[in-house]
Amino acid sequence: MAEALQKKLKAEVDKFTLMQKDVSKSMSARQKLETQLAENNIVKEELDLLDTTNTVYKLIGPVLVKQDLEEAKATVTKRLEYINGEIQRYESLLKDLEKKSDQHRELLSSLQQEYQKAQGLAVGKV
Amino acid sequence: MAAKGKMNVEHLGGVARLREEHQKVVKDCESRILHWDFTSLRLYRCVQLDPLRRDKVQCSSPPRKQFTGSRKKVSGDYEALTERLQTLPDQLSYDIMVPFGPLAFMPGKLVHTNEVTALLGDNWFAKCSTKQAQKIVDHRMKYVKSEISDLSKTMKNFEARVGLVRDLESISSSKGDYVDIREDTENTGDIAVTKGKQRIAHKPNSKPKLDAVLDLKEEDEEKEGSRKCTTTEEELWARLDELEKQEELQDDHDRLSYNANMNGEDTSSLSSEEEKEGDAAPAVNGLAHSEAPPSSGRKADEEAAAAEEDDDEEEEGSCLPTIFFSHTIEPKKVRINTGKNTMLKFSERKEQKEHSKRKNKNGHSNGHSHHELHKITTPVDIYRLFVDVKNGEPVPRKSILKSRSRENSVCSDTSESSAADFEEGRRAVGRSFSHDETTQSDTSDGVTEEESPTAVPLHRASRFEAFSGTVVEKEPMPSAVPYLTISPPALPTILERKQEEVAPDVAPPQQAPKRLSKFKAARLQQN
Repeated sequence: MAEALQKKLKAEVDKFTLMQKDVSKSMSARQKLETQLAENNIVKEELDLLDTTNTVYKLIGPVLVKQDLEEAKATVTKRLEYINGEIQRYESLLKDLEKKSDQHRELLSSLQQEYQKAQGLAVGKV
Repeated sequence: MAAKGKMNVEHLGGVARLREEHQKVVKDCESRILHWDFTSLRLYRCVQLDPLRRDKVQCSSPPRKQFTGSRKKVSGDYEALTERLQTLPDQLSYDIMVPFGPLAFMPGKLVHTNEVTALLGDNWFAKCSTKQAQKIVDHRMKYVKSEISDLSKTMKNFEARVGLVRDLESISSSKGDYVDIREDTENTGDIAVTKGKQRIAHKPNSKPKLDAVLDLKEEDEEKEGSRKCTTTEEELWARLDELEKQEELQDDHDRLSYNANMNGEDTSSLSSEEEKEGDAAPAVNGLAHSEAPPSSGRKADEEAAAAEEDDDEEEEGSCLPTIFFSHTIEPKKVRINTGKNTMLKFSERKEQKEHSKRKNKNGHSNGHSHHELHKITTPVDIYRLFVDVKNGEPVPRKSILKSRSRENSVCSDTSESSAADFEEGRRAVGRSFSHDETTQSDTSDGVTEEESPTAVPLHRASRFEAFSGTVVEKEPMPSAVPYLTISPPALPTILERKQEEVAPDVAPPQQAPKRLSKFKAARLQQN
């Protein structure tokens, strides 16, 4: 009885750790997105400051590709929107993951208690 | 305490963890600030060291690194950049050593000094003049500075938190000078609870209102009950014991009065008192009851005024007269301990109150004389106390107002207040005593006079009120104690003598032979 409980407990613990990893992954991705968001905001502002006289280049790999100012601006704006959408998606994902992890945590605690009780009984029997 | 200790340990662990977390945040903030701001490196290094002393300092403060250092601070970089941009367009071209790979340099020229390709962010570049670049740089500087300020704010907040947590840690571990003040509300709660309980408990103890006699006692009990509400349980139990003793007292009195009862009036009160007896704790009163029956036979002679006396005792209220009984073959000696005064005064005072109410018939042996002496229910009793000791026997006096009587009196307590009583009782008692005295001197008169008092009881109910005095029996004839009663003291001695002389003329023929023999025997013995 105690051994079965122990196995069960281990399985549950593994599941919980996996879930926690997912949570942390999504968290880091979200943070990255947030920095990108900030950067793109700066780029947009800079582009607004520029006038048409100076050329705009985009770095694609080792190549600097000439870009139109207007195109650049549009691209940046699009990127900005994309980033925002990504952030929201990741947020919702994070919420779900957190809920699942909480549930799992409760389950784990109950299992732990049972296991301790079983152990206590075993000790008492012995 | 174990639970408290455990809580402390857990709390301590939690607090330590909290502290560590706070310190991590502080560290992060500081590192970021350092990343952004080069000029404040020295300052932050100092700050870094002090609060993080306890913690494992991950970002150990590096030695001071200026521009040549590996770590270039952003703000410093930007400042350097601004300088460069300003100086760059001064010349059309510059001769420089161009870096050629990681290890080589080549001499070359720097042309188009005014054209700068600036990184806008996110792999976007813009070609612009130096002035425009300058603008960009300024713009970025602003952003960096705002970042630094935010970071410093958060760092300060977390530093404060760290300080608080540290203090909390010291408190919980009871290392510091902080003392936790706690008040246990359990006691008060219990007292509050027991207060209610006490109130409830008193109600069943209080006697039902059966009689005026009982009402008085109830008042006392209720008073005591209200008093008890403010005391603890132990005091309550002690108080209950006292009350039980009082009940014992009461019960004994009731028993005595019940036994001696000849009146319908008394029966009502006594029956109620009997009921009261039943209500009282049987265990406590068992002893009193056991005492009462053996004494009842002897106390049968006692005045029914004992019941009245109980009333008196109850009326007193504050003092608790207790009567102690002792099992002895000798006639019982009753001691009344009053809280206020001596026994005499107490009974005298009560006599004044109950003077008119008492009815009674008494017979006393010498054995009871001592008892009677101490139990004053009638003015007659006072005279009993004022006795001369002749031949080892107490001899009643003619007058107790005389100084001689007071000097040699057996009675220990004399007060002027009792003088009134004496005057009242003197007439009544004086008669009896005078009767007695005359018996000694004049046998014939004594016979008639002795007869008269015995005859008086027959007419007592018809002629006079309830009051009747008692006469001390001087002689050792306990079994032959006749009932001597004296009529109320309205008449002078001589007149009463005449009356009594008249009365016995009517009464004696029936009882004459027996009475005569008894009194004669007594008289003879006296002589």
